[in-house]
Amino acid sequence: MREKRDNILLIGYGRYGEKIANFFDENEGNLYILETEEKNIQRARQNGWDKLFLIDIDNDDALLDILEKENFSYVFCATDDEEKNVYFTITLKSLKSNIKIISICESKESERKLKLAGALRVIDTMEGSANKIFHLIEKPAVMEAIEEILFTSDDIDIKEIEIPKNSFLEGKYIKDIDFKKDFNLILIGIIDKEQGDNFVFITKGINHKLDAEDILVIIGYNDDIKKFIKALKESRQR
Amino acid sequence: MNRLTRFLINAAFFLEGSASYKKIKEFFYNLLENDSYKYKKYFDYFMIFLILSSIVIIIEETDHPIYYWLRFYDLYVVTGIFIVEYLLRLWVYADLRKIVIEEFESSVFLGKRFDTKKVLKKIFLKIREYIFSPFAMIDLLAILPAYRELRILRIFVLFRAFKIFRYSKNTIEFFKVITSKKTELNVLIFMMLFIVFISGVSLYVFEEKTNPNVHSLLDSFYWAFVTISTVGYGDITPLSNEARIFTIIIILSGLSLLSFFTSIIVSSFTEKIDQIKYTKILSQVEKLDSYYLICGYSHLAELVAQKLKSEKKKLVIIEPDPQKNEIIQKKGYLGIKDDASKREVLETIKMKEKAKAVICLAQDDLHNIVIALNVRSISKGIPIITRSFSKNSQKKLKLAGADYVVSPYETAGLIASKILSQPIAMEAIINILSKKKNAVCDEVEVLRDSFLENKKIEEIDIESYKLILLGVRRIDEHGKKFHFNPPDSFVLKTGDLLIIMGYSISVSHFKSQVIESSLAHARKKR
Repeated sequence: MREKRDNILLIGYGRYGEKIANFFDENEGNLYILETEEKNIQRARQNGWDKLFLIDIDNDDALLDILEKENFSYVFCATDDEEKNVYFTITLKSLKSNIKIISICESKESERKLKLAGALRVIDTMEGSANKIFHLIEKPAVMEAIEEILFTSDDIDIKEIEIPKNSFLEGKYIKDIDFKKDFNLILIGIIDKEQGDNFVFITKGINHKLDAEDILVIIGYNDDIKKFIKALKESRQR
Repeated sequence: MNRLTRFLINAAFFLEGSASYKKIKEFFYNLLENDSYKYKKYFDYFMIFLILSSIVIIIEETDHPIYYWLRFYDLYVVTGIFIVEYLLRLWVYADLRKIVIEEFESSVFLGKRFDTKKVLKKIFLKIREYIFSPFAMIDLLAILPAYRELRILRIFVLFRAFKIFRYSKNTIEFFKVITSKKTELNVLIFMMLFIVFISGVSLYVFEEKTNPNVHSLLDSFYWAFVTISTVGYGDITPLSNEARIFTIIIILSGLSLLSFFTSIIVSSFTEKIDQIKYTKILSQVEKLDSYYLICGYSHLAELVAQKLKSEKKKLVIIEPDPQKNEIIQKKGYLGIKDDASKREVLETIKMKEKAKAVICLAQDDLHNIVIALNVRSISKGIPIITRSFSKNSQKKLKLAGADYVVSPYETAGLIASKILSQPIAMEAIINILSKKKNAVCDEVEVLRDSFLENKKIEEIDIESYKLILLGVRRIDEHGKKFHFNPPDSFVLKTGDLLIIMGYSISVSHFKSQVIESSLAHARKKR
């Protein structure tokens, strides 16, 4: 969908960085890896990554050079050390205030600090793992279903879809549309631009009026999602 | 073989073979000695009531005439019950029949004569062992105040008060702690007696003639004791210089003896405090019917424990580190300070019978592997979930018996792979799973005879419950399968699991409707 491929910077190629690089979807953009340690750079090279930077953690000038040259749309702060992630987040923000940072953390404490430092999103890996363990023992079927929808199944996906201007959804109420019958999709929630950027869960039962630029969060088979997006676009052209 | 020998052997084997005898004995053992037995505490309360009432009666009796029935109650009912209790405790104290059987078997095995004398001696020693145990002595002395004719026996009413301690676990622990320092206390008492003796004798020698208050050796011993204990009534005071010098020595040694005594008691408590806590926690664990076992108290373990606690699930945590154990206690979890890789630890908490799942969350792969192996060696079927650190350990953990391996690094990778393109959706799902926003994802079983059974999806109208149906998990001959977003014509069967999303209130409403409809149908059938 994007015209130009995004550049994405991954800081840290330790245990976290390596996994993130592994799961990285090449369609999302070009992945650059930045490390402060030589041996990790070598490991990344062995694993087939070629866009690599090795800098000293205090060398802000070198970091600024890299940022200006490649113009990254997102930066992952994913070193194995939480404090380093906070440090990098602060450093990046001080060098370039509008940079979008996603950071890894392992505790509520760091999450707070990272958000304060300016990280756009924070992934609390321990919370995620604790959720997984809890669901594995108490609600295994839920865990399996969620994993299948999000990760394992290639056919099923979760997607955020922005309502284009003049499309057939604009001005309609949510309850007037049967997503299941008409598109074979499950609508989870929407982000109503009128009410701030908050995600509103659909089962809250409020009958939202859909406007352009509202974002629908849906789950469905890839083919159905594609059809739905196509239908949205076509209705706009008419 | 004489008649006595034959009688002993026959009786022993008869009792050994009698199931009802063993059952009755076990019942009384539980009632009297087993703290984890449900009804023991009622028995204890009853005994405490008897003791208190009898003490009140005896005190009242010293200066008032009392009702006849009160006297009867104290003399026959209370004392009778005390005697019966004393005998029952003696009975359950040891299995005497086993002594006979053991001797008989060894005599058959070695082809030698059955030694009746030896057996009787052993039995006698066992009984003596019981009679002279501190608590049995108290029990016996507590029976004595019933004999009114000897007024001095009244003093044993004190032992009735002591008897109360028997029914309080904490006091028993206290006495255990004190007795563990027997040697030190003996040294202390000996030292004190020695000083009292020397100084008592010297005061008597120096001042028997000159001091009007010292009449006998008893007086000077009394003076020495009052001084060494730092009480110092002052009714007897030394007058001569020699005796005063002795007094200074006694006072100094008295002070050091007192501090010595205090330090013995305090140190024995600090040594034993862990043990006391441990036994207390073990007894709490014993009362649980089932629990989740967490091995290792890492940050992840704390998060899992929090989630389980918020769902009111019972859990037990095993962690060897003392500092972490303090945190566990502060948070109100049942924490056992020990190493989960030891077999006996898991056996004491009855893991095999009671644990629903074991979660290994130690600080490194090595420990988790050893713990998983230990758990597997005790129980084949129990689900084991472990955390992995290095990427190479997943295989090893699975080999060690882990059913699921959770890696925070992988979790991070998976989430990161989606968060770039679908940030809001990912966040929403994470919030739902961690129950941050009151919205939950849950599974609902299609129960037999419930309103879900054999219904088409469209007939249920899940939207009217303000819920989203993500899919149905069905187990059939092909194994487990998740039917994502099933079509309206999909027919539900018993045992299917509906995976639903919604606000927690809608989810619990829906769940209770399903259970109720199933129960209502069952009632109608009856």
